[in-house]
Amino acid sequence: MLADPSTWIVQGLNGLQLSMLLFLLSVGLTVIFGLLHFVNLAHGALYALGAYAGVSAVWMLGSYWAAFVLAPAAVALAGTVLYLGLIRRMRRSGPMNQVLVTFGLIFVFLDIFRIVWGDIALGIDAPAFLAGPVEVLGVAYPAYRLFIIALGAAVMAGLGLVLSRTQIGAMIRAGVDNDRMAACLGLNVERIFFVVFCVGCALAGLAGVVAAPVFSVTPDMGTQILIPTLIVVVIGGLGSLKGAVAGSLIVGFTQTFGAVLAPQLAAVAVYALLAGILIFRPAGLFPARG
Amino acid sequence: MFHQTGIKTAVILALLAGLAAYAALGGYFARELVIEIATLAILAISLDMVAGFGGMVSLCHGSIFGLGAYGFAVAATLLGLPPGLALVAGIALGALFGGAVGAVTSRARGIFFIMATLAFGQMVYVLIFDARALGGDDGLPGVPRLDLSALGVDLQSSLQFALFAIACLGLVYALAAFVLRSGFGRTLCGIHANEARMRALGIPVWQYKANGFALSGAMAGFAGALAAQHTMFVSPEMMVWTVSGEALVIVILGGMGTLVGPAVGAALLILLRHEIASLTNHWHMVIGIVLIVTVLAGGRGLYGQLEHMVQARRERVKAHA
Amino acid sequence: MLEVTGLHKSFGALTVTDNVSFRMDRGERRVVLGPNGAGKTTLFNLLAGDLAPSAGEIRLDGRPVTGLSVDRRARLGLSRSYQKNNLFDALTVRENLALAAAAALGLSGLFRRDTHRDPAVVDRVAEIAGQVGLADRLDMPVHSAPYGNRRQLEVGIALAARPKVLLMDEPTSGVGPGMIHAFHELLGGLPRDLTILIIEHDMDLAFDVADRITVLNYGKVVFEGTPEETRASPLVHEIYLGEWGAHA
Repeated sequence: MLADPSTWIVQGLNGLQLSMLLFLLSVGLTVIFGLLHFVNLAHGALYALGAYAGVSAVWMLGSYWAAFVLAPAAVALAGTVLYLGLIRRMRRSGPMNQVLVTFGLIFVFLDIFRIVWGDIALGIDAPAFLAGPVEVLGVAYPAYRLFIIALGAAVMAGLGLVLSRTQIGAMIRAGVDNDRMAACLGLNVERIFFVVFCVGCALAGLAGVVAAPVFSVTPDMGTQILIPTLIVVVIGGLGSLKGAVAGSLIVGFTQTFGAVLAPQLAAVAVYALLAGILIFRPAGLFPARG
Repeated sequence: MFHQTGIKTAVILALLAGLAAYAALGGYFARELVIEIATLAILAISLDMVAGFGGMVSLCHGSIFGLGAYGFAVAATLLGLPPGLALVAGIALGALFGGAVGAVTSRARGIFFIMATLAFGQMVYVLIFDARALGGDDGLPGVPRLDLSALGVDLQSSLQFALFAIACLGLVYALAAFVLRSGFGRTLCGIHANEARMRALGIPVWQYKANGFALSGAMAGFAGALAAQHTMFVSPEMMVWTVSGEALVIVILGGMGTLVGPAVGAALLILLRHEIASLTNHWHMVIGIVLIVTVLAGGRGLYGQLEHMVQARRERVKAHA
Repeated sequence: MLEVTGLHKSFGALTVTDNVSFRMDRGERRVVLGPNGAGKTTLFNLLAGDLAPSAGEIRLDGRPVTGLSVDRRARLGLSRSYQKNNLFDALTVRENLALAAAAALGLSGLFRRDTHRDPAVVDRVAEIAGQVGLADRLDMPVHSAPYGNRRQLEVGIALAARPKVLLMDEPTSGVGPGMIHAFHELLGGLPRDLTILIIEHDMDLAFDVADRITVLNYGKVVFEGTPEETRASPLVHEIYLGEWGAHA
């Protein structure tokens, strides 16, 4: 089976798909940390919120694409409420308190999901035209998963362009580098932070609605994805797009190929990787600030 | 720095006495609560040792607790060891895992450290959950209790087990206080205060962090083994990430860095949960709100606030003298 | 006692330490001068082990220490005081010194009780406090202590280990003229067999204390000599144009 190239192609695509999902989540988390110095452990909960919002949108409007647009918007709105209500106040609070408060939020969200949507696993169907398999590199692969890969790549390219070629991208990079100085230079740092935070939340929501047809939507799906996302951020390094890309690819492929090649070791493989990085490169592979 | 002050002694003794009285006078259900409080308090004290004094806030202590429980259960049931040796196995497993985590994460700072502990804790949960030989998600039944008949104690009686658990809590507190007052403990606190300077003074920091975590892991493992004996059953549920979260909430609620606060926090939280459970199913939301409110209110915790006020009064008196 | 050979450090295209070599005998007092950005603190970071060199060798008391960790070098007798205060702010002066003394005396074990009351620690705390001029300030909490006292404590912590080699990074940085005199006395009163390397900007102090002077510029050693030779050197004059007018 291992000698058959089609297995490798399928697993390679699976790895890529997982990486893209992890990327959508980790890029928001890492840039929010790099810029706002705010650690948001509830990021996974926002992903779950995106999935649940998507479920409700499909129930009410019957269209996947409506959910695709509305879910990230809903999560961005939730993000706005969180930012204005809690996070703005906690920005200068120190990482410990931020961890504790956002950890508390995870617990709160968990029960909110249970109350509003119940305990049973929910799901939505992929849109009709992406439902079947597609021929790629000689194998049949689900079109929807290819869509996820394409979407992730598009977001990656888009963010890369915005950060390196646009005014606002330059402002964001300046803010990540030295926010006090950036403020002295006249940049409206508060507004930039707010925008970045909401975009990060929208990305998490997008990841959630995109994942809903593939994974089951349960109240604890947020925590399940949180840990791999945190591992991506630790391995990739805080604050940089490059780090998020590298980290998600490494974790995505290790997880996917590990499960195929050595299932017993697969569970531990990613953690062994994490341990290695912590010992030899405690700041991650591509941290934004040396 | 840790100092065994008068107020600490007063409160911890009062707590132990209160728990004993409640167990003796209340019914079966009261004893169940007391045992739960005692085991969680031991876990919380172990966490406070590394988090409050060592500055290493861990989100994997629930997993160490679970490892202690499983170590004891596996040694006693699958390996057929006498419960005394099985207890040693549980403690040793907790110490080994704790020491490994402390060593690997010793160079990680702040938020990276917390995230790493969360990840390693989850790794343990997944490994145990997937292990068919250990019962998978069904767990292992038939876990025995220690045989203290030589001392005239019958741990099958719920009252005697409850008193035993309270005694263990007292013992663990004394042990933690011993460690923190030693040269080792003071060095650990020094590392928390200024790690770079301690290194420049010749201290091999990673060894102290690893050893501190190992000692904490031993205590947390002991708590797990105790819990296993209580329910006489272990399951992966005991090491789900929310357990680590609850342990941290208890420490914060009582007062991090006070050693007594965590025990107080455990009592408060278990009693609160008991009350809330009759009103609503949504315990997680309550615990989340409790945590957020405690942090926003200044983060000293209930016992911590008390200790702070007593200290402030003492300082005012000294200033006027 | 301290031997540095070909020490070199570059970050990509930027060279911060350029082939620095010098030798210090036991008990020698040497001052490192140089304009801002000359790489003086980087040199200290390389010597202490906070930074790994790109090339070169460091020997402490004949023993190669290049590549050894910060704590290993400290245990071999190297100690350092910092330009920016690096203290245990939540503790008192006495507790700071006791912590440092206990660490240096190896009293960091599990079965060492009440190390801050150990007679060896108490003695050393009293000795150091006397040396740095804090004997009457021992119970002052550091966070409310005046800046000058904190600088004294900064040196005190470094001395608590009874080092063989002491690196002092701008000990009088930010200290007012009243305190500078106290630092003159402090330096004068240090054990004669202690090898000291000082980065300083205060010229009076530098010339008063130094047996030899090394001048760094752009990471390179551009001059080495006695205070008189340094004073007379036209090269040094050029580097320090203006600052030297008053001293020449």
